[in-house]
Amino acid sequence: MAAEQSEPEHAVRDRHQLRTLAVAITTVAAALSAVIVTILYAVSLNRLWFLHFPLGFYLLAQGLLIFIVFVGFWYVRVQERIDHTRNLNEEVA
Amino acid sequence: MSAPSRQHTPNPHLGAYYGIITSAFVSLVVLLAMFEQLGWSEGAVARSMILLPLALYIVIAVGSRTVNLEDFFVSGRRVPQVYNAMVMAATAVGGVGFFAYTGAVFFIGFDALAIGLGWTCGLLLAGVLFVPFLRKAGAYTLPAFLGQRFRSREARIAASALQVAPTVLLLAAEIKLAAMVVSLFLPLSFSLAVLLVAIFVAAVCILGGMRALTWSGSAEFIAGAVGLAVPLIVVSVLLTNLPAPQFTYGEMFGSLRGAETAADMSPTTPGELAPAMPAPAPAEATKPFLQPFGAINETGFVVLFLSFALGTAALPSLLVRSGVTGSIADQRRSAAWALALVALFAITAPSLAVFAKLLMFRDMALVPTAGPPAWLAELSGRELAQMSDLNGDGTIGAGELLIGRDGVALALPMLAELPFVLTALMAAAGLAIALAAAGSHLFTLGASLADDVYGVLDRRPNALPLLMAAWAAIGAIALAVAVFLLIAEVDVLHMAATAFCFAGATFFPVLLLALWWPRCTQWGALASLATGFGVMFLALTLGGAFGIAETIAGMGGASLVAALLALGAGIGASLYGPAPSAFDTAYYEEMRKPEGDTIFDRAQARAKTASAHAAEE
Repeated sequence: MAAEQSEPEHAVRDRHQLRTLAVAITTVAAALSAVIVTILYAVSLNRLWFLHFPLGFYLLAQGLLIFIVFVGFWYVRVQERIDHTRNLNEEVA
Repeated sequence: MSAPSRQHTPNPHLGAYYGIITSAFVSLVVLLAMFEQLGWSEGAVARSMILLPLALYIVIAVGSRTVNLEDFFVSGRRVPQVYNAMVMAATAVGGVGFFAYTGAVFFIGFDALAIGLGWTCGLLLAGVLFVPFLRKAGAYTLPAFLGQRFRSREARIAASALQVAPTVLLLAAEIKLAAMVVSLFLPLSFSLAVLLVAIFVAAVCILGGMRALTWSGSAEFIAGAVGLAVPLIVVSVLLTNLPAPQFTYGEMFGSLRGAETAADMSPTTPGELAPAMPAPAPAEATKPFLQPFGAINETGFVVLFLSFALGTAALPSLLVRSGVTGSIADQRRSAAWALALVALFAITAPSLAVFAKLLMFRDMALVPTAGPPAWLAELSGRELAQMSDLNGDGTIGAGELLIGRDGVALALPMLAELPFVLTALMAAAGLAIALAAAGSHLFTLGASLADDVYGVLDRRPNALPLLMAAWAAIGAIALAVAVFLLIAEVDVLHMAATAFCFAGATFFPVLLLALWWPRCTQWGALASLATGFGVMFLALTLGGAFGIAETIAGMGGASLVAALLALGAGIGASLYGPAPSAFDTAYYEEMRKPEGDTIFDRAQARAKTASAHAAEE
């Protein structure tokens, strides 16, 4: 009986950890890659203008920061949902 | 049976209290503006603007005094998310951001944005990778977490010793900036200002530890935010007719380019400016603001960004605040709010630099016809700027105007010829942020010496000896840093960059392994700590001989290499050493569980119940 109960608990835990890892990697990779790609193309992007700013400058001074904040709050929402699902599944198990 | 845990319900009147504090601060500014118009001297306005908020912060600290361990070390774990976020943001940015970063953006424009991006991304990394799990663990300090995670005194004491380097460097930088403001606006010498600031910061920490820091720090953040926003919005309205400097300074780029051309500024190449990051001594601003990668090349920019991001994510003074909110979810949201606040600052800082540069060089272009501007005497009097017509041609080029990097933020209201009260307000704001950050760094060091060194040696369950050890450590560290600042001439931006490099190299890899890899063992943690710190230390001390870590980007590169090597060392030592114990695995699994009590609190409650049972028997 104990073995039967522990198996779904392990499955719930493993699924939670996998999803937590996936969302963390997505969040960090999205932010870092956006910044690094923008830096590498900043000179080319500066030929375009946005709201009176050269685009490369605008992205590094504002656009990416707003994007990172958005990604941060998105992560909080998704992770809370993942944690909530684990709690529900553990209660069921 | 377990002991009942304390209720972690926040004070429901906090909103009202901080509403009153904000109103009082704004009222003080309005009153002083009126008194200035009625004939008060600049000295009287400055004294009131600086001393009255200081009195308010110390009153809040006195009101938050405590001798309860949980209150002293983690503010009772009942700080609402936004209040914690405000202090986290102030700690991450600090006076270094307020004065030195804005100055760096003024001097090298585009290239300095790497630092602001690094801070913002670092807070994202901390919020995603570290903070929620540290909240579940609930240790009082970062070294205590490592000690509990691996049940290892060695890891705990090693981490406590290694966190001294980044934390003390940042503490010294913040105290220096706070003392700079005090000595500029009060009739005090710099030496006396350093001592007074150190005493003030130590007093707040000793009175109520993390609790006093949280509530004083929240008030200081509000003062800092209001003090930065008001002068900047006024200047923005004057220049662009809109009260949103962050979004309107782009309109000024045309005028700025004209002023820069008139001052003979021409594009620079990396290596031409020495040092690439401006020094604090008054210097000429020669690089056009919008020119990309004129002081630091693309690779250097990426390296600088990454080193600041890793350093911020693993900064002990930030992570020590991971246990102060009521739950894991609260702590995660708190980190997101801190990220938003730091991003707001990073978005705002370039607007301040652009307005200051435009006003300064626009007036310089008028010198041949209109003579030196009125603000020049005021800035020269405070040693924030010097002008001399070196070639005698009647015009002032960029090379003939020397500007103090850390005084650019203070100079903005003077450049715009605003009432003096706004200059004093800017000074009070920068001072408040520097004090909040200095308090966090000082408390981190003092708490660690008490909890991780004294607490490991003396295991009696009494709270008072531990608190007394913390008070003594805080006092001793504040005194030592003050003496250091009296002796040494230091560059705060360079010190802060070194601190972030040390934090990233030493703590980022070990935290990543401890929180995300169940196979990590205490030997892996020790190897990671030693490698990260050792490589960074070698790069700084011996690297000069090989051309490593000579520039700020080189130092950032050294920290990234050190972090990579530390990660490898941690993985290698964990894989080739003994396997993790059952306790390590159980702790890891428990730490990753989003629900349930804080691990440290539950252990404390169990120990308390066991000792009560033992006493009964």
